[in-house]
Amino acid sequence: MALPLSYHWRHLFVRKTTTLLTVLVIAAVVGVFTWMMGFAAALDNSLSQARDEGKILVLKRGATAETNSAIPVDEYNKLTQLADVARDPTTNDPLISPEMMVQVSRPRVRDHGKTWGNIALRGVTPMAFKVHSNVKYTGPEFPSGAQEVIVGMSAHKQFDGLTIDDTVDLGYGGNRSFRVVGYFTADGGPAESEVWGYLPSLMNAYNRTMYSAASLRLKEGADPSSVIEQIEGPAIQLTAQTEAEYWKSQSSSINTYLLIMKVLVVVMCLAAVFSIANTMFSMVAGRTREIAMLRTIGFSKRQILAGFVIESVCLSLLGGAVGCLACVGWLQLVGKTKDMFGATTFTTLAFEIRMTPMTVAWALVSVVVVGVIGAWVPAMRASRVGVVAALREA
Amino acid sequence: MTITYVLMQNLKRNPLRSMLTAAAFALPMAVFVAAISLVVVLVKVAAHNEQELRLGVRQKTSLTNLLPEGMRRKIEALDPDRRHLRAVCGMRWFGGRVPDTQNTLTSLAADADTFPVVYSDVGMTPEDAAKWSADRTACVVGTGPAELYGWKAGDRVTLESTVPPYLALEFRIVKIMTNTERSNVFYFRRDYLEESYQAMGFASSRCNIFWVKCSTAEGLRTMQTQIDQAFANSPEETKSEDENAFAASFMQAGGDIPGLMRTMAIVVVCIIALVAGNTMMMSFRERIRELAVFKAIGFQSGRIFTIVLAESAILALIGSLAGVLPTAALLTLIPLRGLRMGPISTVEVSPVAVVVSIVIALMVGLAAGVWPAYQAMRLRSVDALRKIA
Repeated sequence: MALPLSYHWRHLFVRKTTTLLTVLVIAAVVGVFTWMMGFAAALDNSLSQARDEGKILVLKRGATAETNSAIPVDEYNKLTQLADVARDPTTNDPLISPEMMVQVSRPRVRDHGKTWGNIALRGVTPMAFKVHSNVKYTGPEFPSGAQEVIVGMSAHKQFDGLTIDDTVDLGYGGNRSFRVVGYFTADGGPAESEVWGYLPSLMNAYNRTMYSAASLRLKEGADPSSVIEQIEGPAIQLTAQTEAEYWKSQSSSINTYLLIMKVLVVVMCLAAVFSIANTMFSMVAGRTREIAMLRTIGFSKRQILAGFVIESVCLSLLGGAVGCLACVGWLQLVGKTKDMFGATTFTTLAFEIRMTPMTVAWALVSVVVVGVIGAWVPAMRASRVGVVAALREA
Repeated sequence: MTITYVLMQNLKRNPLRSMLTAAAFALPMAVFVAAISLVVVLVKVAAHNEQELRLGVRQKTSLTNLLPEGMRRKIEALDPDRRHLRAVCGMRWFGGRVPDTQNTLTSLAADADTFPVVYSDVGMTPEDAAKWSADRTACVVGTGPAELYGWKAGDRVTLESTVPPYLALEFRIVKIMTNTERSNVFYFRRDYLEESYQAMGFASSRCNIFWVKCSTAEGLRTMQTQIDQAFANSPEETKSEDENAFAASFMQAGGDIPGLMRTMAIVVVCIIALVAGNTMMMSFRERIRELAVFKAIGFQSGRIFTIVLAESAILALIGSLAGVLPTAALLTLIPLRGLRMGPISTVEVSPVAVVVSIVIALMVGLAAGVWPAYQAMRLRSVDALRKIA
């Protein structure tokens, strides 16, 4: 027979203050932990939408991002000679999308416009929707000719003045008013933080004669590296990478940030281990006689050990639950929106920190591990209590 | 029997608990001191920038929309008697990188004549300034890239631009800028850039931003409204903001590390307060009878209060020292270099941060001890002696 769970549970409430304080320590650590996990998960979710292996991004040699690339039209036209590019089943056009990218500065909603963010403004043709297959736009017809733009869902939520019927001042002199006519989604990918308009209208507004970059879709089963080789070869002399590679290089600064967070969280988890150990030692010390009695009536050393570990795990799970709730509350009250620059894009990637079942599960698993580690040594001590001596004690 | 003796005996009574508490205190404090160091640097940078009274004027739609260089004269003309304005320095983004590396340096071409005035805090000596005006290829570099690439004054360096037309230029370093605010920046002369652009048939003569050095804080606000009004409804509508507001937008886009550090610092303070409170409650509970004996043999309530409170404070002190000093030592021996978090290139633990951390830990220790100490003071010896702990 094992000790009933209620025995452990009710023991937690014998010393209410100690239990409460320990639970709060664990809750604080778990709160930070879940926030970080949610942050990492949100970023990862966004970037995982940009790992389309069938999509290739073409830039000018020497450029590091779409924003600082410039491809003259005649150089762009050479791309049409590429083999292995997918074709539109009805028109038989190659799926290559010429694009222009500039930036527009808009106030952030989360700090009421105190700071501004740089949003990518992409000039595209209807071809872009075939190449960027995860972009879904359901509003009125994609503007062609009129001074209109469509806005990615994240950009709409996180930046001011990007709601349907708002007008945004764009153009080289900032004196061309474009009206927002619709929103688009991209499964939460980076494109959702962008504003899209009709390429010729935007090129005209920005006095541009060159494209910035081009995206193209590969034929089913084509080898990206051979196409990249052709693009970088003597005939075309541009540079290219798969979308996955591009975003991998852009997320280097984000990775530094995540690394800092991880170090902090590990250190805090260790502190929680010590804190639990402290509480458990005091519990063991206060119950020496009781343990001795349990041993006398036949409970084994192993059961005593397990008992204290279970108690600590209950304590930790309680803290974990409070921590997760605190994190949800924090995200609701303080805000869950965040945006970060890519390493060289100079345009921002907006996302929302979300608590997913996965983040909660991770937090709870980690807190159980912390609870077990913290309880191990005190529980070992409890299981080794000298029965006779303890019972004789006053 | 002195209080100190009682305190030391009490701490040694349950060495395991003292150690665990100290460890649970030390680890978050290690985080705290690093976080506070960053915050201290950023606060200093912000305070410094505020005193420098520089106003950044950029195109309203985006920093990447260029303004014509002639705008400098128009801005200067707004204040012909130089009541508010001291000098204007136009800047253009070059975005250079060292050949065969990935990181783009914050490299900017600045107006050669006004740069030493507008950026007087760079601390150019008359000789440096003379070299800067004599040599077209002159540049000044912050300590971040200088350490990363092993550059020193007098070196010739090449940067490749990452913006069209992807020009590669050679520079001679005039000075390594040692002030923290400029540690991740590379400045060179704009006339050199323009000439190089013209030589390759790329007409430009435009700037991303004009930095307007003002003489007073009120003058800066006046210039801010005057400039934005003067260019309103023109093809070059502007947005002016002071250096800190300008930097804040970038900090947000960098993941808001200062905000993160501030939140971490608050969480750490909460954790150590709870840890200290917990320990003090536990030792108080175990020692109720002993404290009652103290009272019974004539210790005054005030003295009992001090004993409990001081124990908490000493524990906090030991814990914080155990966390702060190794971190400080570690980061001094092996500084984290080559960071590119805004103006911060190196994380070094500053003495200010160490002092602030220890003081805060002490305060937390005292606060955590107040409740048990109060209870100890109010203890009724008769009840306590009767109680079986």
